[in-house]
Amino acid sequence: MALRHFSLELEELNEMLLRMGSLVESSIRRSVQSLVNRDKEMAKAVMRDEPTINQMQVEVDARATRVLALNQPVARDLRFLTATLKINTDLERMGDLAVNIAERAVALINRPPVKPLEDIPRMAALVQDMVLKSLEAFVKVNAELADSICPADIEVDALRDKVYSELVEYMQRDPVSVPAAVDLIFVARNLERIADHATNIAEDVIFLAKGVDYRRAVGPARGV
Amino acid sequence: MRHFIEELEDLQGRLLEMGTLVESAIHNSVRALTERSETLAQQVLGNEDRINHLEIEIDELSVRLLALQQPMAKDLRFLTAAIKINTDLERMGDLAVNIVERAIALMGRPAVKPLIDIPQMARTAESMVRKSLDAFVKREPELARSVLLSDDTVDRLRDSIHSELISFMQEDPESIPQALDLILVARHLERIADHATNIAEDTLFLVKGVDVRHHLEPNY
Repeated sequence: MALRHFSLELEELNEMLLRMGSLVESSIRRSVQSLVNRDKEMAKAVMRDEPTINQMQVEVDARATRVLALNQPVARDLRFLTATLKINTDLERMGDLAVNIAERAVALINRPPVKPLEDIPRMAALVQDMVLKSLEAFVKVNAELADSICPADIEVDALRDKVYSELVEYMQRDPVSVPAAVDLIFVARNLERIADHATNIAEDVIFLAKGVDYRRAVGPARGV
Repeated sequence: MRHFIEELEDLQGRLLEMGTLVESAIHNSVRALTERSETLAQQVLGNEDRINHLEIEIDELSVRLLALQQPMAKDLRFLTAAIKINTDLERMGDLAVNIVERAIALMGRPAVKPLIDIPQMARTAESMVRKSLDAFVKREPELARSVLLSDDTVDRLRDSIHSELISFMQEDPESIPQALDLILVARHLERIADHATNIAEDTLFLVKGVDVRHHLEPNY
């Protein structure tokens, strides 16, 4: 394999990660849409995209590792590559969670509707915005933008708790609704986990932007 | 600077220290649940900081070695695996804390049913964690592969716990909050097993140099 220009390699890696990010974003959006619109075909489309996301994860990993090995990057480039490895893991997991939502959507479509969905779409809107912003912050290496998603994470957690207690009450009044309500509780939980992964990405961006030098940060502590 | 091999050994030692802490967190979280023990629950919560701290240390050490030592081939794969395993272990520690949170919620309420499947699921998940770490340390692909097989057992147990608790809730709506807590515990255990599977896959990658994630390589 020819050794290509390092910055070109980094650029390509960045693009691969962003392509993966858009597919994951779209999976999240479609999974929630399939739930709200009771659209089984859309849910299935999300499931069909999972292998592509997985394949992208393996490729990003392989590429990032190869770039690390061949170029011995330091400082900012090294931080970028470390962030890439971490963000890659988060994105793949978000893709899995979108598939979980799509699976719950299919189960729910096969049952009579429990109640009009209000809080879950609100949660989903917040979560999708967090995902978009965290990826945008990564592209622009913008710590401020990354930091701006924190309040949404708190709101998402609060909505998850609200959805939970409402559905518990609902099930207690109407035990027939138990399977559907449990599915919805899991959807809320999956959305909350997606928000957590977006927060992880934001944290990686902050690290990337602030430029703490690992070697200096670790050096003295390890001198003992 | 110390010799590279020593640094790698040090890194592996820390990963193992973290692994031991996480294993014990998982074990104690389930015991806190089954024995309704506040003491064990607090013990798990008390160890969370140490696990989080180790994660940061291991991350910094791995990245420093990547940057300064220009590792190639197997050493590079080891460092990549270390970074991934570190993330998995930290996440397992979080999941043990989540189980403890459910255990504490359940302590304040009457017990709904004797726990049989959850302890069994926990035993399988714990043994997967132990085996995956063992396989990593000893570079044993056979052992790593056996972890991949157990993951199906855990998924089946989770499904059976799930449907059992659903009927339980329908028969006795009073039990719904407790049953939901138990469904979540089963879900956390399933996720712990998934992370053990990741470690096993990373070990196969380390030993064989082939990525077996997502069953892209059916021969392993």
